[in-house]
Amino acid sequence: MSSLLREERMGRTVLLTRNLSPGKKVYGEELVLRQGAEYRVWDPFRSKLAAAIIKGMPADVIREGSKVLYLGASTGTTASHVSDLVGAGGLVVGVEFAPRVAREFVEHVARERGNVLPFVADARDPSKYSVAAADVVYCDIAQPDQTEIALLNCERMLRKGGALLLVVKSQSIDVLKEPERVYLEEKAKLEKAGFRVKGMYELSPFEKHHALIYATR
Amino acid sequence: MDESVPGSEGFEALRQKSIAAAEAVIREASSRPDLHLVQAIQALDDTDKYLNVTATRASEWYGLHFPELTQMVQDNVALCKIISEVGAREAVTAENLGGRGFTEKKVQAVIEARDRSKGGAISEGDLGRVRALASLAIQLNVLRGGLNDYVEAQMKKVAPNVAEVAGATIGARLMAKAGGLDRLAVLPASTIQILGAEKALFRSLRTGAKPPKHGILFQHQAVHTAPKWQRGKIARTLANKIAIAARVDYYRGSEDASIKAGLDKRLESIKERYKEPPKRKPEQRDRPRRDARPKRDKFRRR
Repeated sequence: MSSLLREERMGRTVLLTRNLSPGKKVYGEELVLRQGAEYRVWDPFRSKLAAAIIKGMPADVIREGSKVLYLGASTGTTASHVSDLVGAGGLVVGVEFAPRVAREFVEHVARERGNVLPFVADARDPSKYSVAAADVVYCDIAQPDQTEIALLNCERMLRKGGALLLVVKSQSIDVLKEPERVYLEEKAKLEKAGFRVKGMYELSPFEKHHALIYATR
Repeated sequence: MDESVPGSEGFEALRQKSIAAAEAVIREASSRPDLHLVQAIQALDDTDKYLNVTATRASEWYGLHFPELTQMVQDNVALCKIISEVGAREAVTAENLGGRGFTEKKVQAVIEARDRSKGGAISEGDLGRVRALASLAIQLNVLRGGLNDYVEAQMKKVAPNVAEVAGATIGARLMAKAGGLDRLAVLPASTIQILGAEKALFRSLRTGAKPPKHGILFQHQAVHTAPKWQRGKIARTLANKIAIAARVDYYRGSEDASIKAGLDKRLESIKERYKEPPKRKPEQRDRPRRDARPKRDKFRRR
């Protein structure tokens, strides 16, 4: 029984993650029963990771038992689905800087899920939190130097062979450049840092001017 | 830090600690007085909007019945007071118009207008609704006044120098845009100068149109009362001083009268030096200036 299901509904792909805290919704998503277990509908318009998976990213980068360092947890919409994906034996270390949105992340996600460790901290200063040998670093932060911040965290905490999932927000990096050019520049930065880029997924129509880069080290 | 395995007892204890620490940071951040001030100024600006909408509706509706009064009483709140307290046109008298700060002549004019009004009849039901709207506008005005006093008082406590240099409400609006006093204190003056003009700024970056000279700062009387050619310079000076003031407020936390004094001096010298509008060079008059022409193709997407 997989923690991630894929279904076709009216010609569209719908992703479902097995609910780690059955009966509870995090952000008003739909709950459905499949194979005797409760699943939560994972909306690609609200979660860039779901959008990337629909656009072709391999779904097994984050799997049951994975240890994930999640930078930019925000209110925890995507983080809650990552928590579902890794299951009770996995770990999600969620880092969020802004107290206002962290409040919801802690209340609705961290408190409800035994595999989530919350930190209200600045991702520029990874000494304030830690996870030894993460399998995946997921980074979705709106800063011009987001790639450098992600790399800094990978250096300290991503295990050899682990994956970096970097959400490139072209509008946060440079509003004047073509988004495609920004994606390529950020990709080059990863390669220069010794990462192997396995795939790059442009997130339209779900998200404008965003791409997700999947790389391993 | 995460030697324990998720699901184990040790991990659960660690997780509870992490949650408690996160909540402590959130609690601490939520009690910052500058964030409350940011909410207060936004409440004030919201209330302003509601007041305007409500009073305008009351005035329009009542205008069907007594259009002359809505013409003669320009102040919306004063008009709403009459609508709410007096009601129908026929009930308007010289007595109940008294004590509202109108001149004898104006009262006379209203009475005359009452007798030859072009307004239609109004039913009890309609009049009741209009009066309720008008009294809501009056309450909003009271709320607005309270918020305004509160913002002024709090600004003096939280950011006295910004309040002194920018004025309390403008300073508070800048703080709201920046996201708190801590953020305002680390912004460059050039950013403070155009806070609130983001749309014009990005248009300028994208197309090469002229960049904005001022955003929220336009509301400052030193900027909007100045002649056009001085406004950019004044906004720039003002932004410089606000940046300094915000830093003093955040890092030192004491009043410093020299900032305002420096600003006043600088404003004087701008007014003195740029008294006359700049003369255009004759050859520039006919063709559009280079920076005013959009450079569309260069930056346009797709």
